[in-house]
Amino acid sequence: MPAPPPSRRRAILRRKALPYLLLAPALVTFGVFKAYPIVSSLLLSLTTGSGANTRNAGLANYRKLLDDPLFWTALGNTARILVVQVPLMLALALGLSVALHAALVRFRTVWRLGIFMPSVTGLVATGVVFAFLLDTDRGAVNSLLEAIGLSGVDWLGDGFWARMAVVLVLTWHYTGYNAVIYLAGLQGIPKELYEAAMVDGAGPLRRFFSITLPALRPVLLFTVVLSTIGTLQLFDEPYVLTRGGPDNATLTVSMYLYDNGFRYFDFGYASAIAYALTLIVSVLGAVQMRLMGERE
Amino acid sequence: MSHLSRRDLLRASGAGLLALTAGGALSACGGSDSGSSGGDAATGTITVWSWTTAAEALRGVVPAFEKDNPGIKVDVQDVGNPAIWDKITVGLAAGGQGLADVLHIGCDYLPGYLEKFPGGLADLSALGADGYKDKFAQGLWPAVSDKDGRIRALPWEVNAQGFFYRNDMFDRAGIDPTTFQTWDDLIAVAEKFKAANPGVALFGINKSGTPSPDLDFLQSLMQQQGAFYFDLKGDITVSSPEAIRALTLVKRLDDAGLILDAASSTIWRSQIKEGKLGANPLASWGAHWIESKFPEQSGNWRLTQPPAVTPGGKRTAIVNSTHLAVSATSPRRTAAWKFVEYALTRPASVNSMFNAGGVFPALTAAYQDPIYSAPNAYYGGQPVLKTFADLLGQGGDATNYSGDFARALKLVNDAQAKVLTKGADPAAALQDAAKQLAQQTGRKIK
Repeated sequence: MPAPPPSRRRAILRRKALPYLLLAPALVTFGVFKAYPIVSSLLLSLTTGSGANTRNAGLANYRKLLDDPLFWTALGNTARILVVQVPLMLALALGLSVALHAALVRFRTVWRLGIFMPSVTGLVATGVVFAFLLDTDRGAVNSLLEAIGLSGVDWLGDGFWARMAVVLVLTWHYTGYNAVIYLAGLQGIPKELYEAAMVDGAGPLRRFFSITLPALRPVLLFTVVLSTIGTLQLFDEPYVLTRGGPDNATLTVSMYLYDNGFRYFDFGYASAIAYALTLIVSVLGAVQMRLMGERE
Repeated sequence: MSHLSRRDLLRASGAGLLALTAGGALSACGGSDSGSSGGDAATGTITVWSWTTAAEALRGVVPAFEKDNPGIKVDVQDVGNPAIWDKITVGLAAGGQGLADVLHIGCDYLPGYLEKFPGGLADLSALGADGYKDKFAQGLWPAVSDKDGRIRALPWEVNAQGFFYRNDMFDRAGIDPTTFQTWDDLIAVAEKFKAANPGVALFGINKSGTPSPDLDFLQSLMQQQGAFYFDLKGDITVSSPEAIRALTLVKRLDDAGLILDAASSTIWRSQIKEGKLGANPLASWGAHWIESKFPEQSGNWRLTQPPAVTPGGKRTAIVNSTHLAVSATSPRRTAAWKFVEYALTRPASVNSMFNAGGVFPALTAAYQDPIYSAPNAYYGGQPVLKTFADLLGQGGDATNYSGDFARALKLVNDAQAKVLTKGADPAAALQDAAKQLAQQTGRKIK
């Protein structure tokens, strides 16, 4: 068989190279901005000092982490916020989405827009606005509480309430986001299932628990894992609201990481914290997938 | 405000998520720190990074400088505070890439830069800075020297601690604050003051230190005793007898009902405005600040030196300072140094900048100018600036902020919050802070 003419050979070559060529921008960007920093910070976590003072430290940063009370405080705070906030927010989002999905609600689009709006608000702007609202002496929230005969709360000056303030802001910010995901999920459930259930005499509660929840399982898993990861990386809201105070009650792991890197110039230690956090996130994510995921 | 101010001081350290995401790239360049890549050209255009009114003031010096130094052009950029700290930090971490030739640096950042990025700032001793050793307010020279005694910056602004008080309120109580010898004298008349001024306290402190730490007062009490979070060797002195005495004093003032919780700087300002605070322990920048923020209180305020912590103790403290440094990677180090020298070592320059931006000069020869003895109507005709010049004349002790100042600040802030909001024991809280500081920094507790 005669060899293909040169022009065809070039075409084949082009056809082989083309996918890589098309992928190149994404691959290069991924390599430079994702893969390289990930590897680089792993190496960095094994060093101490910065600039010309950088020297190898082996696992010293990780050992230091185990003895660091502030790290454990930060982890404890993050865990507490996670345990309270994620179930609260997801339950609320589920309730909202079911209500919005119901055919009897009028002006549905307006309502949907309304609940989704907070999640497009800038995080820092959110923090600043809530700092005003929650101000102990002059904030609108306390004025409201006092107007209905309750006593005002020292929102940002008391450890417990400061954490509650963070929970409040997070819930405000992300509930609508999750509700929209649930809405999408709800729209995917075949109507026939509900019709059949109604024929069988199942009430609304029964229909919710026997049809809606099981059908939403993958979507629920998705939001639980995503919210968990998001909350573990919590930074902006407490940073703007409280800077981690009072007395470290709202210090989160990410904030402690940031402080070590960019306020204390200890990039090695900050990287070690980042890897510790990554480990925690992966383990928690795997556990959730295992507990909630589809059983084959 | 042009300079380091209460509460604004450390907001400097805040950046944003942007910096966080830049982390990987930034640290990657961290290893290539070299101090020798610059050059010593004596001409060309030099850029200067400063912020707000200080930058504006510095710009005022440029025309005369350019006239006296043909061949050098100066471009003063107002980078903004706190943005400037991130820019300098990132630049130094990148081995000096992208830095301006001349950098305006605060006392709280300078030691950190010197420790973490040795060789990042030019050696000014080599350019002739040593000759100015005795020209600046006492206590500043150690702050601008690196561990080998080489000069890395020249002092520009210095802030001595003063005790501003509401003359009308103290008059009403029949108390004369200028007679106080120690802080105990003040605590002794607390009841008398409060009886004559119901609902008025003396100081506003953000007791929980949230969202930003509020330690200026505590620090000044430590500095009055020649102490700080670190000694000059860099050992931890957070739990020294002086520090414990200072925090105990804050607690006693609080117990005497003299401290109001100022949960934010906005609230603190309105407390002053509403006449809820009878005193203000502020540094020299406070003179201009009070006058401009509370014009309706004209004639009510006076200034005196702070009472001593212990009988016979120091009545002065240098609470902060800012400096000009030259980037080691600048290709025009000689030209940059010429500008720094011109701006900071001539009374005419520093005083013109003081007039323009309110940056209190560190150059002692500057105080000969008549503006320092001029009476100020806002302060009842008192020559307030003279009080500060005199205080500086008494000689403040050198303060070592060290490279771990931000960490120390955080831990001491936690300690003060525990004492003021939870009634913790000052000594125990500070010992705990010292222990954590040692764990995190590897420094020794003295």
